[in-house]
Amino acid sequence: MGSGTDLDRDERLERYAELAVRVGANIEPGQTVFVQMIVEHAPFARAVARAAYAAGARYVDVWYRDQHVRKAMIEHGPDSALEHAPEWLKTKYGAFAGNALIASTGDPEPDLMSDLDGERVGRAQMKELSTIIQAHMVARSLNWTGLAYPSEGWATKVFGEPDLERLWEAVAFCTRLDEPDPVAAWQEHMTRLESRAAQLNELSFDALHYRGPGTDLTVGLLDDARWLAAAFHTASGRPYVPNIPTEEIFTTPDCRRAEGTIASSRPLALLGDVVDGLKLTVKDGRIVDVQADHGAELVRSQLAGDERAPYFGELALVDGSSRVGQTGLTFFDTLFDENATCHIAYGFGIAESFEGEPGEGMNVANVHTDFMVGGPELEIDGLDADGHATPILRNDEWQLPE
Amino acid sequence: MTLDPRVERYAELAVRVGANVQPGQLVEVLAHVEHAAVARAVARSAYRAGAGYVDVLYRDQHIRRALIEHGSDDVLSWSPPWLLERAKQIGDENAAIVALTGDAEPELLSDLPGERVGKARMLDLLAENNRQINEQLNNWTVVGVPNAGWAKQMFGEPDLERLWKAVEFCVRLDEPDPVAAWRAHVGRIGRRATSLNDLQLDAIRFHGPGTDLTVGLLEESRWQGVESKTAQGLTYVANMPTEEVFTTPNAARTEGHVRSTRPLALVGQIVRDLEVRFEAGRIVDVQASEGAEVVRGELKSDPRAAFLGEVSLVDGTSRIGQTGLTFFETLFDENATCHVAYGSAYTEAVEGGASVEGVNDSTVHTDFMIGGPEVNVDGVRRDGSVIPLLRDDVWQLGD
Repeated sequence: MGSGTDLDRDERLERYAELAVRVGANIEPGQTVFVQMIVEHAPFARAVARAAYAAGARYVDVWYRDQHVRKAMIEHGPDSALEHAPEWLKTKYGAFAGNALIASTGDPEPDLMSDLDGERVGRAQMKELSTIIQAHMVARSLNWTGLAYPSEGWATKVFGEPDLERLWEAVAFCTRLDEPDPVAAWQEHMTRLESRAAQLNELSFDALHYRGPGTDLTVGLLDDARWLAAAFHTASGRPYVPNIPTEEIFTTPDCRRAEGTIASSRPLALLGDVVDGLKLTVKDGRIVDVQADHGAELVRSQLAGDERAPYFGELALVDGSSRVGQTGLTFFDTLFDENATCHIAYGFGIAESFEGEPGEGMNVANVHTDFMVGGPELEIDGLDADGHATPILRNDEWQLPE
Repeated sequence: MTLDPRVERYAELAVRVGANVQPGQLVEVLAHVEHAAVARAVARSAYRAGAGYVDVLYRDQHIRRALIEHGSDDVLSWSPPWLLERAKQIGDENAAIVALTGDAEPELLSDLPGERVGKARMLDLLAENNRQINEQLNNWTVVGVPNAGWAKQMFGEPDLERLWKAVEFCVRLDEPDPVAAWRAHVGRIGRRATSLNDLQLDAIRFHGPGTDLTVGLLEESRWQGVESKTAQGLTYVANMPTEEVFTTPNAARTEGHVRSTRPLALVGQIVRDLEVRFEAGRIVDVQASEGAEVVRGELKSDPRAAFLGEVSLVDGTSRIGQTGLTFFETLFDENATCHVAYGSAYTEAVEGGASVEGVNDSTVHTDFMIGGPEVNVDGVRRDGSVIPLLRDDVWQLGD
């Protein structure tokens, strides 16, 4: 991707919007496309609106949020305003059913709320809207996607200086915008991830064994939990990709069966701070010890918040072909960071992994925190019930035939 | 976070004098994305004035452009049900409304077919808004937000500072005590309204180059200026700036022809040298050197769009007129000089309100400027006697 001219940048943005519409939400002609972004992301919203109409959207509804207006409410508004969800927004969220939603991440002012009363900031959420969204997720009635839109504020977080162009180039690389035909590149990419997931499902291992510096961990798998790539389908069968980028295949492990130690391989952005050098000890599925070079308290407080928090909810495999991993950057945005390398999450499991009702093996908690464990020094084997080991990852390379 | 004191002062004026926000009120802010700095300041001011909740809705002309370019005919004038619900709630809860104008890209839609541009209006939503204005449910105000695009349109270069200075002058933000200055202004224009009402005029006549127009009034027509009142008696200033005394004419009694004296910015296009001919109240011919199609498209919106809903008198003391500038923004330009509007009437300016026959009702309301030093304005009394109202832009009735 050329770095110089406005034309290049405009074209890159148009391609990015195209990706959101054709691959991410994969909108169906005749759908209403809801675009929800902060007002600073207007250039992206506009490009998405154009791309959505070009793809046959019946109507594109753009709703801009404004963090500064939210701040005014938290600072000067009455208590009753904090959790208030206007009726018209509930109606609108209800209208998502059968339609498409495109949202963006990438906070241009990550520290905007930092001088406010944390308790009021925490309360200022439209919970009733989250409930409606969750119902759409369960009913699978919505094809949706989220993409990050670069800004100077975000670039400063990543690089220590507002190098917007450098961030754009990193994002473009991670999201395959640098390919001659990004949409085709994504189709190929998703096919590869899905075939990896199918392979692991075929092999139906009983457990995974992680081995590396500071790591010797065995995690049990569940008979009824499948491996998935992040290619979702609506109830009516429309495929979509909720996260761009995505590099992982993932499953929900047996939360009752995990033993050993695991060392994190990358910094973890958590609750506005960073956890470095995280090391966990696990017994009978439960995290019993937390150590870190920095920020151990953040993890301990999170684990203390819920009886079921210290159990694993997700295993995700990412190899060295991950473009996010190849950048070597910490993006301070989960959408990117969790796709850099293999990760494990403590907290709630993922219901989509199960064909039917999840059984007792799936953890239920109110947190879900992914931490990165992968890298060239990590070896991962699949174990049969009789203990026979099959190499899955060595030196960041996928070992099963592709 | 550093705040711009000028923006904060402006927002305070809009909230305290304009909308006159009351404690506990729902406050609706309508803004374009380019107005975010002022919209945020209005939200802060409104909460400080005790607002119960502030709901900011951003509009984006680029999204509208995408709709006009690519949307099918059946969605062009569609009102999404959630926006209708929002509008109804604004009426039901007697919300305060602060609307921001000031087009950042005034020519954004100029290369699109005028007819589609004219049609791309949320008709049901506009009808709901009109109902609320007619029933005087809300205390509301409209203020202009300076931006680079608007400045470029006016000055040929994006001289934002110059535009801010002009806007500050027009809305009296240059006064040491803008609130007191507005109080004095309310009194002066209010006295003009009183003297016009005392004359019991039957018609207003405009005479000048390209213009010979008679606008018939209703017996129930009442002249108004600057300050408005909700049905519940709450005062507010609907437009900032405002310099006009206006009333609602008898929609059936406009005759003659009129030449617009200033360019008109209309739904993303500029209409220049507009000439309109009336017969029995209805606009029967529209000509313009530029943008005639947009006007014609608007007039087709509904059966009553082509009738007058407002006649308004402004003299040379107008601060907007004094700037000598064309703002390409109706909020300002209509206050530079006399104007009429086709489309809906303000029922507030009629004794008896909407039920009076001859009060026009439409989904459009477009003001166009017809006054200036060369245009003489007379009042015709019911006995046929003629009273000069404006000569050479000077108010003839005394202040």
